[in-house]
Amino acid sequence: MKSIGGSQLSFEMWAEKYRPKTLDEMVNQKEIVERLKSFVKAKNVPHCIFAGPPGTGKTTAALCLARDLYGEGYREYVMELNASDERGIDVVRETVKTFARVRSIGEIPFKIMILDEADNMTADAQQALRRTMERYTETCRFILCANYSGKIIEPIQSRCAPFRFTYLPREEQDKYLRYIAKNEGVTLLDEGLDAIYEVCGGDLRRAINTLQAAASLGKPIDAKVVYSIAGRANPADVRKMIETAMKGNFIEARKQLREMIQKYGVAGSDIIRQIHTEIFRLDIPEPWKIKLADIVGEIDYRLVEGADEEVQLSALLARLVEAAYEVKGAKKV
Amino acid sequence: MYLPWTVKYKPKTLKEVVGNKEAIQRFVEWIKSWEKGIPSKRAAFLYGPPGVGKTVTVEALANDFKMELVEKNASDYRTEEAVKRFAGLASQYGSLFGARRIILFDELDGLTGTADKGGVKAITEIIQTAQCPIVLIANNAFDPRFTSLRNHCLMIEFKKPSTTEVLRYLKAICLKEGIDAEENALKFIAQRSEGDIRSAVTDLQALAQGKKHLTYEDVAWLGFRDRQETIFTVLRMIIYGKTCDGAKRAVNMADVDVDMLFEWIYENVPNHLTDPHDLARAMDALSMADVYRGRIKRTQDWSFIRYVIDFMTAGVAMARVNTKTSGWTPFHFPERIQALSRSKEERTIQLEIGRKIKRRCHISATRASKEVLPYLRIIFRNNVEMAAGIAKWLDLTPEMVEYIAESKEKAAEINKLLG
Repeated sequence: MKSIGGSQLSFEMWAEKYRPKTLDEMVNQKEIVERLKSFVKAKNVPHCIFAGPPGTGKTTAALCLARDLYGEGYREYVMELNASDERGIDVVRETVKTFARVRSIGEIPFKIMILDEADNMTADAQQALRRTMERYTETCRFILCANYSGKIIEPIQSRCAPFRFTYLPREEQDKYLRYIAKNEGVTLLDEGLDAIYEVCGGDLRRAINTLQAAASLGKPIDAKVVYSIAGRANPADVRKMIETAMKGNFIEARKQLREMIQKYGVAGSDIIRQIHTEIFRLDIPEPWKIKLADIVGEIDYRLVEGADEEVQLSALLARLVEAAYEVKGAKKV
Repeated sequence: MYLPWTVKYKPKTLKEVVGNKEAIQRFVEWIKSWEKGIPSKRAAFLYGPPGVGKTVTVEALANDFKMELVEKNASDYRTEEAVKRFAGLASQYGSLFGARRIILFDELDGLTGTADKGGVKAITEIIQTAQCPIVLIANNAFDPRFTSLRNHCLMIEFKKPSTTEVLRYLKAICLKEGIDAEENALKFIAQRSEGDIRSAVTDLQALAQGKKHLTYEDVAWLGFRDRQETIFTVLRMIIYGKTCDGAKRAVNMADVDVDMLFEWIYENVPNHLTDPHDLARAMDALSMADVYRGRIKRTQDWSFIRYVIDFMTAGVAMARVNTKTSGWTPFHFPERIQALSRSKEERTIQLEIGRKIKRRCHISATRASKEVLPYLRIIFRNNVEMAAGIAKWLDLTPEMVEYIAESKEKAAEINKLLG
């Protein structure tokens, strides 16, 4: 196969290739990793909730913990279920229970169930899960991964050891990306690194995916390349949408919002976070910014409660249209 | 007062039901067989397209046979527990007052999602021990969800009645309403309904109510508007409503379910409420309606639907303070639904690719198709070798490769490398 930049590109998703295999390999979340290591040492694990934003190492930590605990054959003792794909109560009743109640035969008397994206489970399913957790504690320990621990019902939270994952600090992420680039023989410029951090925050998965997509272009990775990748992969042009709304064109703004959500699958929570940031950069009287922040906060809350992200966010757009109209009116006077 | 003709002229006895004589015959025989003891199938499953008279048949039969009809709609039995509450009713043939009883589970199609599976299971259990006839109704009886249920049921198919049968029914209504209608006009309505009697009657009412004569010209333009007349009337009642009650009443007239009506309102509000304050208020009402939809979803408690309706109808109607009603603004079909159905095929393949990614990358299929797929697209367009490597690693089919590469030529190159 052809080589680029002198060395061969490896042909898998780098985010998987460079996913740490053991707790020792985990570069971030130091305190969490230390506590997990102590579980391995004691050969005992409580039920856990790993809460934190995407790409901060929740699933990785759970898999590393399992591997350290059971060794290479860990897959036999671990089941990974994804609540976004199978969030119904039936899954808890059937799959989870079947796995949980059968005693493990190895040295460690329990198995581990990793429930990814557990905050997407329905309340019913969570109730069922809670009983299962209680009943089969001896034979199975649960690790629930979630973006928001607040969406997990109280009785489950109180049965779990909480772990709060945070975004990777900039230096850590840079180190990691540099290491991958070197290993893959890709030229990654400093401005490219800056740009990746700007578009991905501390979301390591997204950062690595961006790096790989940028590398596929086969040229040195500078800021321009990164922005073009990010623009194509994630066209959440929130700023443009706000401008459209502030000009009074609600229908067009809603169309842009719809495109973001439907076509590109941008999460509502990401959009509202960006709106919140943008509010303070708007050219409007200062007191208005805090008024708008209040509205954003209210919609942010409804987003959690509601059924449809587009409906909630377009209600916010309508409020922006209204605000712009009032500001304009005030200026005329 | 507005009384839909579909209600006013609803058949009271089996003789008045349009079409489906054979199906009705089988249904009647089955009911009669109960008098000789419990038959082998304790439930009858009536299925067929909307508006062909399934529910009406059951109601008319109960009337003819002087039976007590206990009718349940989808929202009453979404969960296992909810269904079990009816179990007691099914355990006796007669009610306290001696009338025999039929239990009807209508709109079985309304059961969706995994949580409702419990509902289907519970219905199956009730049938097995039922002491009175149970009737199930759905549009599509061959939905995989009903597989085990079907084994316990006498399956009775309802077909679309012929145009002639629909025509005869429309004529009868015109006679009673004192409308002198051209044969052509009624035929046009009957044909356009494609056997959906309910829609034919609704159309007839929209076009002919209050008229003495109905001509072909009166109805011909209907062809262009494609059965949307009712929904336009409903939208007008809501978006231009003066009272809360009036706006709320519109829901009963709508030919579509609450979610679909929500989409219609959500789509059209911005065009009809142009004042920024009014628009913000209306959108806020829709946002609140949606919050209650979220609560229904989470709690499975469908009684909250009344608040959804309050906000999406009365809430929107009361939003109008400054916007003047000027001129005629058309209503649009919800663009969001159009986009959704257009991309249905696309979403299927996206999800399949998502599943492939999930197997490798410890991320849900849903998130994979949103968070990983966009990067794959870039790679597949720019780097054939890397794409081939990843395609192999993920075990993608040639169709998936073509979908991701968004180009036949690129896909061919990649698939060639894959061998």
